[in-house]
Amino acid sequence: MKAYNLFIACAIGIFCVLVWGCERDDICAEDTLTTPRLVIDFYDIANPDELKAVRRLRVIGLDDESMPVDTLSLEGVADPTRILLPLRFQEADTLTITRYLLEEDSDLTADDDPETNSNSDLIEIRYTPEFIYVSRACGYKSIFQFGFNGSVLRITDEDNWIISTEQLKQTIDNEDEAHYIIYH
Amino acid sequence: MKMKHTTLFTISIMVLMLLPLMSASQNTNETTQDTLVYKQNYGLRLGGDIGKLIRSFADKDYKGFEINGDYRFSKHVYLAGELGTEEKTIATDYLDVTASGSYFKVGFDYNAYTNWLDMQNMIYTGFRVGASTFSQTLNEYTVYDTNQAFFNNNYTIRPNEEFKGLSAIWAELIIGIKAEMLTNLFMGVNMQIKGRISQDEPVGFENLYIPGFNRTYDSGAIGIGFGYTLSYLIPIYKKDKKIVVETEKP
Repeated sequence: MKAYNLFIACAIGIFCVLVWGCERDDICAEDTLTTPRLVIDFYDIANPDELKAVRRLRVIGLDDESMPVDTLSLEGVADPTRILLPLRFQEADTLTITRYLLEEDSDLTADDDPETNSNSDLIEIRYTPEFIYVSRACGYKSIFQFGFNGSVLRITDEDNWIISTEQLKQTIDNEDEAHYIIYH
Repeated sequence: MKMKHTTLFTISIMVLMLLPLMSASQNTNETTQDTLVYKQNYGLRLGGDIGKLIRSFADKDYKGFEINGDYRFSKHVYLAGELGTEEKTIATDYLDVTASGSYFKVGFDYNAYTNWLDMQNMIYTGFRVGASTFSQTLNEYTVYDTNQAFFNNNYTIRPNEEFKGLSAIWAELIIGIKAEMLTNLFMGVNMQIKGRISQDEPVGFENLYIPGFNRTYDSGAIGIGFGYTLSYLIPIYKKDKKIVVETEKP
């Protein structure tokens, strides 16, 4: 009988540990890897191993009609060597396009000198979203495959500051490393 | 003067301490042992989980039904089992999943309570092995994207995809009470701690709820359940319960 009482005490003890010891898994933790952004690094075209910052970069997201949606916050960095671009997606396994306007020397538009001006280049990102289950709290995330049809292309105009692009990764599934390089 | 007081105090304490001994020595009546016999009903106790029934009416995301039974085959040990079906929808901001299926549990209850006279109440612990077959339907999900606001897109998808033929096996530890409210009618409350042994999970998804096991946790294979039972004892045979009583000789 004494052994039995001990058993009950143990069971109650285990229960208490279970109830109060469990972490909350109904809230998606901030450090969980969910839908990633596209990571682009800027390199020097004259010296392709060196990072080169883009002076006074402004990044503007565009909709399907190439109308500006919003200006992307670069988290206080005026001359970035790396940008992280959110991607649009509607349906899994469908080729999707996101367009961004990258404006170099954006401060020169506003000043009085007509000789100097900013230079805007349009880039077009093509990829295929794929939805992947993460957890009870976070639900699903999207990753993006470049595949055969995917790429980051600079649209040619009279005056391009972006010289070329280079693909580093086939899949956008994290934000740890650059997926693409832009040479300028 | 002081000395006299101390002596008086010591003597009075000694007398006080001896008093119970003296009174005890007076109590020299002889006792004999006598045996009383009570009849106890043995048989099959059948019932249902009223908690699950009430919840089915109160909670639109839940439907559950369980019948349970036990069979007493010795003074302390009962063979016990449960059979039930459950349907539960788990809806969060990002997921909407319905699990539905049936389960059974079988095992033993050990009654640790020493009953008075002819009473048959129980304070028990038990052990069960449970198995469930079920399906999960992914009704809806919203892709989790912390940068969703930038393009302001709606990422909610309604795939209505059903994952069929899932199963799980687990072991349970139960603590509970059963009390006889009316003749042969029992009410009980119990708590179950479950440890999952194995489960079939859908490819690219997971089991959020297993009928009989209840919700799963990311942290491990542990589950918790509660039961509120109402059951009726169908007496099959009676067995003598002997109680030894000490009585004083006149």
